[in-house]
Parts: sequence; C-alpha cells; structure tokens
Amino acid sequence: MSPLKERFEGLLGTIVRLSTGQRILVSIAAVIFAIGVGVLVILAAGSVASCGSPALYIMGVEFCYNPLEVWLVMFDGSFGGNFEISRTLRWTTLLLFTALSFAIPYKAGLFNIGAQGQFVLGSLGAAVGVIWVATVVPGGAVGRIVLVPTGLLAGAAVGGLYGFLPGYLKVRFEMNEVVTTLLFNFIATAVAFVLVDRYFVDESIQGTQTEAIPEAAELNPQFFANSADFSLPVFVFALGIVAAAYWLLTRTTVGYELRAMGSQQKAAIFGGVDERFTTLFSMTTAGAVAGIGGALYVLMVLGRWQTGPPPLGFDGIAVSILAGNNPLGLFPSGLLFGALQSGGQAIQFQLGIPSELVGVLRGLIILLVATPELFRMMGKRLNRRGVIDIETEGSN
Amino acid sequence: MSVAVHLDGITKRFPGGVLANDQIDLEIEQGSVHVLLGENGAGKSTLMNILYGLYEPTEGTVRIDGETVDFETPQDAIERGVGMIHQHFTLVDPMTVLENIALGWEPIRYGGLAIDDGAVEADIRELSDRYGFGIADDIHTPVEELSVGVQQRIEVVKTLYRGADIFIFDEPTSVLTPQEADQLFEVFEELTAQGKTIIFITHKLDEALTVADRITVLRDGRKVGTVDGAGTTQDELARQMVGRDVLLNVDKEPVNRGDPQLSVSDLSVTNDQGIQKVSGVDLTVHRGEIFGVAGVDGNGQSELVEAITGLREHTAGDISIDGREIGDLSRRERMALGMSYIPGERQERALVLDFDLVQNAVLGSQRDDQFRDGRQIDWDAVREHTEEIIETYDVRPPNPQALARSLSGGNQQKFVVGREFLREPDLVVAAHPTRGVDVGSMEFIHDQLLEMRDRGVAILLVSASLDEVTSLSDRIGVLHDGAFADVVDPESVSKEQLGLLMAGEQIETERAVGPQ
Repeated sequence: MSPLKERFEGLLGTIVRLSTGQRILVSIAAVIFAIGVGVLVILAAGSVASCGSPALYIMGVEFCYNPLEVWLVMFDGSFGGNFEISRTLRWTTLLLFTALSFAIPYKAGLFNIGAQGQFVLGSLGAAVGVIWVATVVPGGAVGRIVLVPTGLLAGAAVGGLYGFLPGYLKVRFEMNEVVTTLLFNFIATAVAFVLVDRYFVDESIQGTQTEAIPEAAELNPQFFANSADFSLPVFVFALGIVAAAYWLLTRTTVGYELRAMGSQQKAAIFGGVDERFTTLFSMTTAGAVAGIGGALYVLMVLGRWQTGPPPLGFDGIAVSILAGNNPLGLFPSGLLFGALQSGGQAIQFQLGIPSELVGVLRGLIILLVATPELFRMMGKRLNRRGVIDIETEGSN
Repeated sequence: MSVAVHLDGITKRFPGGVLANDQIDLEIEQGSVHVLLGENGAGKSTLMNILYGLYEPTEGTVRIDGETVDFETPQDAIERGVGMIHQHFTLVDPMTVLENIALGWEPIRYGGLAIDDGAVEADIRELSDRYGFGIADDIHTPVEELSVGVQQRIEVVKTLYRGADIFIFDEPTSVLTPQEADQLFEVFEELTAQGKTIIFITHKLDEALTVADRITVLRDGRKVGTVDGAGTTQDELARQMVGRDVLLNVDKEPVNRGDPQLSVSDLSVTNDQGIQKVSGVDLTVHRGEIFGVAGVDGNGQSELVEAITGLREHTAGDISIDGREIGDLSRRERMALGMSYIPGERQERALVLDFDLVQNAVLGSQRDDQFRDGRQIDWDAVREHTEEIIETYDVRPPNPQALARSLSGGNQQKFVVGREFLREPDLVVAAHPTRGVDVGSMEFIHDQLLEMRDRGVAILLVSASLDEVTSLSDRIGVLHDGAFADVVDPESVSKEQLGLLMAGEQIETERAVGPQ
C-alpha cells in the first residue's frame, strides 16, 4: 500500500473516530482559527479599499477597517444585548425548520435541496390563508386562537404538498430528487411572484407584496425587545418540533424504517420496508416542516408576504450538515448561523463594511467549521464502500 | 527438493488488536501443491495476502528461494514471481482474452504508441500449448462469452504471463462445477510438473485430500500442524480444523411429507438487465420436507429466490403459499404469511451494517405487534429478543450494542439465521445458510434446519455446496440456465451425476423423486 494512501486513511480514521466532545472542541478551534484568518482578510480588504477616514495606520499603510473592531462588533451584534440576542435567535428559529427539512430526508437516504421553495410557498400559503380566514373571524384573543394555527397549518399543507411532489416524481418516474427539488426552488419563487402580483397584491403600497396580516395573527415579540421580530414561545415551539423529529427518527417504527432505508436500501427492502412510503413520507414531512418555517417568517417577522425572501432554505442545508444531520446538533449549529447572520448585519450597518466582505467572513467561519464534518461524512462513506479501511469502534 | 517459500514467525495484528496470524512458520517446497486448510477466519487469506504483498506482517520474515523479501505492494510480489488468483476474478468482461492477459504488462511498439498484440498472442499460444490449457482458439473472444471454468484458466495464464513461479489460489473451486474443479486440478498437475509451486487455500476437506502434497491446518490464526496429504483422513483434518470431533455426516429422520406449502408453477423471472434468468420453473415444497436447489452460481438461483420472497417481480407464472396466490403481495405481506428468508448476500441484504444488533434484530418484524408500542418500537422487547438470538445461536461477541459491521462473517450469519428461525415460520427459504460459517456453527445450523423440517416446516434450500444440498435435502432440483435440468432423489444420485446435470446434460437415473 502506498504511504500516501496510508496517511490519508490515517487522517480520515482520526476524524471518523473523534468523540462528540472532541468534535465540539474541533469546532471551537475552527472558529478561533477562522477569526485569525479573518483578521488577515479584513486587513487585506482594508488596505485596498478607499475610505475617507482610515480606521488604522500600521507602518504608514492605511487600513479602512480595524479587524479587532470588526470582530467585536460582530460578536456584540450577535449576543451583545437583548435586541441582538433576539435577532440571533430569530434567525436560529427559522433555520431550525429549514435544517430539519434537509435532515429528515437525509436520514432516509434522500437529498432535499428544495427547502427554499417549500419555505417560500409555505409562507405565501400562510399569508393568504390567514388573510382569507381573517375576514370571517373576529380580532383579539379569539382571532389569535384561530388565525395562528390556520397560518401554521396552511404553511405546512402548502409546503408539504410541495415536498410531496418531488417525492412522487421519484417514486413514480424515478426522477432524481436532487434535480427536481433544486429546480422546484426556482419554480416556487416565480410562481409565488406571479400569484401575488396577479391575485394577492396590496395595491395601496409599492412592490409585490400581500396586504398585512391582521394584528391578531401576528406573533408579537415577548420577553425581548420589541423591534427584533422575535417571539420566545415560537422559539420554544421550534425546539419542540426538533425534539419531535428526534423522537420520530429514533423511537418510532416509521423512523426506524426511514433510517434503515437511508443506511442500507437493500437491507431495508429485505426487511419489508416500502421504499415508496419512506420516500413520500420523508419528503412530505420535510416540505411541511419547511412550510411551517415559512409561515412563522410571515407571522413573526414580516407580517405579510413579499418578494425577495432570505435564502434560509439553502442555509438550512449547511446548518444540517454541520450538525451531522442529527436533530440534537441542530440548535448549536443553527445558533452559529443565526449569530453570523445577526452579527453580519451589525458590522454592515455600524462599520459600513461592504456586504461582500461580510459574506466572505461568514463563509470563512462556516467553511472551516464544516470541513471536519464534511471529511467525517466522506470518511464514513468511503469506509462503507470499502474504498478505504478504517477501524471503527464496535459500538456507539 | 528446494524450498520455494519460507515464512518465519509471521504475526499479523490489525489495528484494534485482532490477531489474525500468530507466529506462523511455513515451508513450501518448490514444485508441490501445498494446501492451506482452515475455517473462515482462521487466518489463511491474511497469511497469503502477506505473501502477496497486500499486507505487511507485524512480525516475521518472508523468504523466497532463501532470499529475504519485503513486499510493499502486490507489484513487488509479482516481480518476484508470486501470483495470486482470487476467488472473484479480476478480468474485464467485455475485453478479449488477449487484452485481459496483457493488461498492465503490455509489450509496446513504436515507442509506446501501440501494443504489440502479435508478441502477446505468440506468448499466450506458447503458454497454452506448453501447459495444455486449450485456450488458443479463444484469444480474441471477449471474456464474458466464456464459461467460468475457462475464465479461471485465463486467470492462470495471466499469472503465468507475468512470470509467476508461485501460485496462490484463494478458494478457487467455489464457483466451479465438480467437473470444472477436476479440470482445475489437472492444471495444478501441469503446473507442478513444470516446476511451479502451488499454494491452495480451501476449507473443503475432500479437495484438500485430492490435490495436496502437503497440508497445513490453521486454526484461530495459529498453525495446528503440517501433514502429508497421503497420510491423513478427512476426520483427522476436521478435528484439527475445529479442535474437536466433528460429525461430518448428517443423521436425519425419514421424510414425513405433508401438504404442499409453497407451490410455484411456470415461473419466469428476469434480472435487472432484463435478461430472462428463470424460465418456466415448476416446484412444490411440502410441509416437513427440504427441497434443495443445486446448480452453479448464476443459473437463476438468486432470481428464483428473490421472486418467491417478494424482492423481485416475476414476468410469468404463479407463486402460492398454502394454496393462496401470493404473486402480487408485497414483501411485508409475504413475511406476515410465515415466510422466513435467509438471503445469500447477508452483508448487503440481511443486515444493516451500521445498525447495532438490537436494531438489526427487529429488521423485518418492525411492524409486528410483538415489538410495537403504538407508533413506537418497543425497544425493551427488541433488546430481550436480541439477547435470545445471541444466546441461542452463540453469536460472538455477545454484545447487543455491537455494530453488525464489527462481527465476523460467521457470527453475522449466525445472527441472521437465528433471527429468521426464531420468527417461527411455516416456510423457510434459505440461500447458502452456512456460507462462511465455521464447521461447528454449520453443524448447528444444519441441525436446526432438520429440526424445523421434522416439526413440519417447508424448507427451500439453495446452496452452492453440493455436500450441503445432498446431505440435507429430501429432493433436489438441479438448476441449469434458469430451468430444472431434473429433480432427483439425493439417495440415488452420485456427485458426478449431479455435476453433469449442473452442466446441463441429461442423465439416466431412477426418478424416484416423490410427488411433483
């Protein structure tokens, strides 16, 4: 065996054998390392940018941005106060839904790249549903009790249907779900735009958006600052959904069948698991969960539907992968992404750093934190296929 | 005679502490056939992989013709004249014999612009003539059009072409009919007559005694001893392999045939490529009987079994259990009718390798009331059931939390057999139920099969081992090219006759085969 391959096997083996505690340490180290690399990136960017009052002089060179300041504002913008924390948790809450939408089908051996589309249509379904039902129910507490579940159910139904479709195409016509879900995202955005533009547009204001949902349906900020569009009970609800997904996957018959199918398709079929069922079930559930996320985006954050939703569906994929696609890992992983989103907004607005550089800094942290997990997934897969030979523990 | 290979104190310890070879000394004389005999997991293949440069020994030295060598890759071993013929051929099916033989060792022309086919062809003809391989006519035939026996000879020629003096054959007969195996043994004689040395890995006692000049028995990674092939017996060798006396012959009660349990009529099945592999098979398995299916691998056994068990759709014909047509039922519905199935591909199919034994114990019964608690799986009940399987079937290590992947092949098989038998089935479809298990466990699994038969269970047994089929079955259907060449009585048919049937020829025999 060549020494190169042996070293490669050794490296992957080390990564695969890491304990959970060690993996958390590796992630923390990766964040610190990324901050270090980020300092260099910020300096480099600051040396070529032109600005009126440079933030830093080092040996006669002008730097537009002070790295220390950037990272401090980044942190402060994520966790520095009630408003910042609630802004971080707002993104975390929404990401939990879209991440689950990737994690559940992944356990069944499917790649759902379509959370974005399911999220977009789910949010539109929720907005339209709430606005319709609001015409027949009174406001106040009664309205809230009717309208909020209506919004969530509408979001879940529309998103679920939009997840069911690629599942059905796979079962019926053997169409690859990666391709269909990916393309369905574009269709969703376009369809939502046309629907709102033609039928649901609020003519009183500019832009393509629906009218505002009634106040009774809005999930008002509670316990935290008013303007952050974050409601703690919703966050608790999100954690409950994550816990339910964990229960589904580990304790139930359906979850067992899903995992068997995802882990070893032929063995699952031998064991009487119906592949059509696991495909349709996991894709529909994934769509419904993403749709609920979309509903909450309308009920908690925007108060209406409008074009140009943030790419929460795509970020959810990264959140899930970083969590090892394990529901239990979604909160810390989602929190990191939420903090980067929130802190990124802060440095952009407070320090005038261009959004491109903000994106680079966020990407840097995500890349470095996710890489060990990515290699872990790769090592496991190669080992399973027998390409490489890693001694794994007899139990886990 | 000089000694071609010296192995001195070879020890191989794998990461994780598994000791595959423990201080093995071995001398192999030039020009002889040396058999390495042992159960699966005894360390035969590991030892030979060390000689072939696939593994490096933890301790010990390898000498070829008295000279110490240190192979890092098989390439090094080949250059030193050591060749290995694996159980699964390393031929490229659509390429011709010539291309396969030259692959990787092509003589070149025009400074590397072309392969010197003429030179290769001349070499192959010369080798074929010298050793009497009779492949000269097939030089330009794609390998996939040749029979398995001929393909194996091409592996031998390929190894010769690379200049091998020492040949390692790893369980070569598992894919051959008895006649093809005999032809392979003739090749052995030709090779040794020309001074080549052969190391033959097997766990089949009769083959070892047929061809061996000397026999070395390995057990649990250690060498038990080396004996002359002429001076030993099957019983003696079996005792050395297992470490205790073994009952080689199966005692069974006379068959007490009940009503038909499984009936198959005019069944046709195609494989994934749409090629018809089973053509109009009729077959009935009665309660209380074992119906054996013999045949060379690839003659439709897998497709037949998959169609019956519900893993593959059939293109024509009927399948019924206990008089009820099941051809349209799903796999789960068939299992619910009391069908247990031990698949041949245990690692792909019978076990989810990344699940632990507890999670594997419920595979196939996950929706049974016994293991259900509403929507949840009753994991406590499953754990108890797992422990029952482990205990009854002596699965090692006896750890329910062990990943299926971490068990040895024999223990995986014992676990699968245990799980399927404890379902209390009315019909058992068993494909190669003892493949890869040690002799002791084989005895146990055979006893269990016979006990179920005596309790009135109908058993369809497919096995590549003729010994197994003939000793257990009450009737034997010989599959050739997707159809039964004949259905015979194991008591009144010889191995040679079975071999002829497997090759698709007809034999004259008393057809006392009971009801169809």
